[in-house]
Amino acid sequence: MATPITAGAVAGEYMETLVIVEWRVGIGDAVAEGDVLLTIETAKAAVDIEAPSAGVVSAIFAEVDSEVPAAAVLCLIGNDIADVDYDGGEAPVTGSSSSSTPATAVMAAERAAEAPRAAVSSARIVASPAARRAASAAGIDLRVVRASSPSGRIKLRDIAGASQSAPAFAGSAPVSAGLPVDENGPLKVHRSGATGGAPVFLIHGFASDSLSWYPLDRQLAKSHPVYRVDLPNHGASPKRQVSGFADLVREVRDAFDALDLDGAHVIGHSLGGALALALADTRPRKVASLTLLAPGGLGPKVNGDFISGIARASRPESLAAWLKVMVRDQTLVDLPFVKAAFAARASAALRAAQSHMGETLFADGTQSFDLVAALHRLDCPTRIIWGRKDRVLDWRDALQAPGHVGLHLLPDVGHVPHLEAPDLSLGIISALIKSI
Amino acid sequence: MTVMRYAEALNAALREEMQRDPSVFLFGEDIGRYGGVFKVSKGLRDEFGDARVRDTPISEQALTAMAVTAAMSGTRPVLEIMYADFLPLSLDALINQASVFTYLWEGQVDIPFVLRTQGGGGVGTGAQHAKSLDAMVCHIPGIKVVAPATPADAKGLLKSAIRDRQPVVFLEHKLLYNTRGEVPDGDEVLVPIGKAKTVVEGKHVSIFASSKMVIEAENAAKLLAKDGIEAEVIDLRTLRPLDLDAIRGSIAKTNHAVVVNEGWTFCGYASELSATIMEHCFDDLDAPVARVAMPDMAIPYSEPLEMAVLPNAVKIAAAAKKALA
Amino acid sequence: MINAPSTDELKDIHHKMVVTRELEEVLGTYAKEGKTRGPIHRCDGQEAVGVAACAALRADDYVCTTHRGHHVYVGKGLTTRGIVAEIFGRETGYCKGRGGHMLLGDVKTGMLGGNAIVGAGIPAATGMALSMQILKQDRVSMVVFGDGAAQTGICHEAMNMAGLWKLPVIFVLENNQYGLTVRQEVQSPVEDLSIRAAGYAMPGEIVDGNDAEAVYRAVAAAAERARRGDGPTLIEAKTYRVKGFSTSDMGGYQSEEEMAPWLDRDPIKLSAEKLSALVGADTVAAIEAAARAEVAQAFEVALSDPFPTFEIHAPSAAYSETK
Ligand SMILES: Cc1ncc(C[n+]2csc(CCOP(=O)(O)OP(=O)(O)O)c2C)c(N)n1
Ligand SMILES: [Mg+2]
Repeated sequence: MATPITAGAVAGEYMETLVIVEWRVGIGDAVAEGDVLLTIETAKAAVDIEAPSAGVVSAIFAEVDSEVPAAAVLCLIGNDIADVDYDGGEAPVTGSSSSSTPATAVMAAERAAEAPRAAVSSARIVASPAARRAASAAGIDLRVVRASSPSGRIKLRDIAGASQSAPAFAGSAPVSAGLPVDENGPLKVHRSGATGGAPVFLIHGFASDSLSWYPLDRQLAKSHPVYRVDLPNHGASPKRQVSGFADLVREVRDAFDALDLDGAHVIGHSLGGALALALADTRPRKVASLTLLAPGGLGPKVNGDFISGIARASRPESLAAWLKVMVRDQTLVDLPFVKAAFAARASAALRAAQSHMGETLFADGTQSFDLVAALHRLDCPTRIIWGRKDRVLDWRDALQAPGHVGLHLLPDVGHVPHLEAPDLSLGIISALIKSI
Repeated sequence: MTVMRYAEALNAALREEMQRDPSVFLFGEDIGRYGGVFKVSKGLRDEFGDARVRDTPISEQALTAMAVTAAMSGTRPVLEIMYADFLPLSLDALINQASVFTYLWEGQVDIPFVLRTQGGGGVGTGAQHAKSLDAMVCHIPGIKVVAPATPADAKGLLKSAIRDRQPVVFLEHKLLYNTRGEVPDGDEVLVPIGKAKTVVEGKHVSIFASSKMVIEAENAAKLLAKDGIEAEVIDLRTLRPLDLDAIRGSIAKTNHAVVVNEGWTFCGYASELSATIMEHCFDDLDAPVARVAMPDMAIPYSEPLEMAVLPNAVKIAAAAKKALA
Repeated sequence: MINAPSTDELKDIHHKMVVTRELEEVLGTYAKEGKTRGPIHRCDGQEAVGVAACAALRADDYVCTTHRGHHVYVGKGLTTRGIVAEIFGRETGYCKGRGGHMLLGDVKTGMLGGNAIVGAGIPAATGMALSMQILKQDRVSMVVFGDGAAQTGICHEAMNMAGLWKLPVIFVLENNQYGLTVRQEVQSPVEDLSIRAAGYAMPGEIVDGNDAEAVYRAVAAAAERARRGDGPTLIEAKTYRVKGFSTSDMGGYQSEEEMAPWLDRDPIKLSAEKLSALVGADTVAAIEAAARAEVAQAFEVALSDPFPTFEIHAPSAAYSETK
């Protein structure tokens, strides 16, 4: 019996469809638990789908660049290449809100003249607001609930039924307030891209995660192995208390050291920029170049409201408000983008952990870690890319850089140059890497 | 308690308030000598004289504007507009006069007048004499709108409306005038504006209605009961300001809402109710709010056509069942 | 005599007045038996106004009327059967039962509507005249409206513009002494509403509304003026409402003494006398018999006609948002 792979919760219950960005595996490939199988795009954000268990990829149902329902089965992991039977494999193509419909079948149905889009919309979990609330209170995953209404909508009574018959879905027990117990284990590092070539090491910013590098990481992955670390309390990394900036630097350096990279091109954004700088300062021989995108640590000023607001935001609406602070062009923060971003932060435990970390690192609304001296000590080629309309950090901090650091101060760009000016940012980084 | 007809209850309220307060006066078409085409002001001219119970020319637009300024200058006018269908003639005075000055002039003036009118279909009065234009007056800020369904509420609310400091549009229904009900005795029994009333308790679906639609909703509840469905019927009584607590409380219990109004569907009063429920009770909803209202068209005269377009108990029950499915 | 009706026209007018009267009486009987729906506003005693005014117009002229418009319907040439069918809500009625007795309209005959919003016909006809003037047509529009309607704001507004722009419109004020239950002198400080014409720089004239020929001559002259480009005329036809406001009128405010002289001067009686002198009593009797037979026939057919069935997307409801 093969395991069907779906985007599952990563797609977020708000998503109706997703786009296959890249397959990292082919049919017949053996995979270990945690290996990245493919990258999908929901809204404008990229998400890696990992293997839940070891096995062999026995079927792939969706082509690159195709748009499929969020709940569609994307591929199968079997015991061997011939193992293609799976639970729910006989499910009808349309009218089912179960997650067991292969994407190819849905796509085929979609191409058929009749009911061209019905399949897509019916694949979203349709549940009444009351049912959603009850399900989340009871820790029931809506995907395991059957709708009894002819409307196809999951209603309250279905949740009541499910909470009696089905056990609560593992891992989704309601999070109580307060800090979770510290989780052990190393930071999560996602690897993708070419096997040869100089490695690229990416460090994201506060309240973000390794997915935020999309699509920059994909471009770089064409010719480099790309490593994206998730900071503690972010993305797929463990949640634990961070006692200060130095603690954080140590964690990132441990993850970097574990990879044993040589001549790495390190790129960091915001808080990740400060960490990248600290990393380069302490591992000068391992770092070939440094790109700092709106980096922290170059001055005391930081938008404290932003730090606490974004970490806390428990609703898409409030998150959207803070996402808008990050960018100059507000239209970038459209509804799908917000929903994708929110889906990545849906866990209350994650938000609580980040809030706490934000309070520790940016106590009194101040960046108390100063890396200006480190910047002056650097001798690897370094670029700072910063938007002059940044409302989170003060771009003028860049002016303290020594003469050998290249400054790219972009007009009409805010705090996220790689999102707001992706081509320009990629061009600057590629040129820097090539120059070495 | 005395059993009275709805029209008699209104008549009693007018009489008592006129006796209590000499600044209350009535005017409108055919209300004096004839006692009003629905006989609501019957006998009042004889009792209070034709200065305070005044027949007017057919001049709704000016009458309404005059009610506004008469109210600003010391009297409490009660204006009867014979049919709600003529409210559009009053709208300029309501929208551009009555609703603005208390605010603009920082409370220097109160505008205590009542505009009574009646609407609704069902008796073949045709497209210009059968409409329910609740939404038009409910759209206007600063104006209260009530629509009682029973003789007791008709009396208690009319008395409250006459004593109110703000303009109140008082919506009656031509098919309610002859309905009977118990009315509490005593001239100080008032029904507060802004309070809904649960007329049938139930736990499966909440039906929100006003005026004659309350009767339809009660009948719908009886139909639903045959299928084991316990509908709760809320008589809104006041259309603006809305009794949000009553709405929230009922939906928290039933998780299903059917909103009923005899007016047009599009941008109608039922739409406002639906939006309000969506805003305040979203997480309690187990199905989309169902609207039962008039189709968006002129009301036809012929009986089978008119009956087909009017909201009724059967349509309400069907909407409730669909929501519960 | 200038603008006088021909003998044939007088015969036709008489025929139509009798049709109207008969229609009202039969309707009255049905109403008493509870077989009509909604209120019906009879125009007994006022037939001369609607019928003779319409007779003085051309077929392509437009006319607007009120909730009390049966005489205009018949006068402008609508079939009795179609009128009766509409009043009884039948599929074969002029508006397939949608309009009913107050809101009937028929573009072919230029009868652009009964209207139950008091006063609405006055700007309505004025707007039609504006269009005729812009299109440089020699057509005219006419509105028959009540003394009650004369007190509305739109009456003043429309008449002012008609006078200002010299629009080809004829205002026929059918003064039947009552606006619903309220006597005219309780509604207006002036006895003769026609004096208002002076305020709009148009001729104002009083005619005996129970004398068909007088009404005809006044309207014919006004139509001629309007076609010449000399603008509107206000004709106040004095008459009396003998059957109450409507079938739902509870009465009690029109006295018999007040009514008696008007019953004496019944327009059909006056018309029959004049016409008998011209064509003989037998011919008049034959005209009346034919008219009554026409009405009887109309009721018989119309009442066995089918009711319409409701259809929300019928062509005229195509503007509906509801599916
Ligand atoms: C704008 C408006 N106001 C009030 C009414 C109610 N109403 C219908 S007929 C009528 C009296 C009309 O009097 P008049 O114009 O003299 O016509 P009559 O009935 O005498 O033919 C009234 C007040 C109405 N239909 N429209
Ligand atoms: Mg009159």
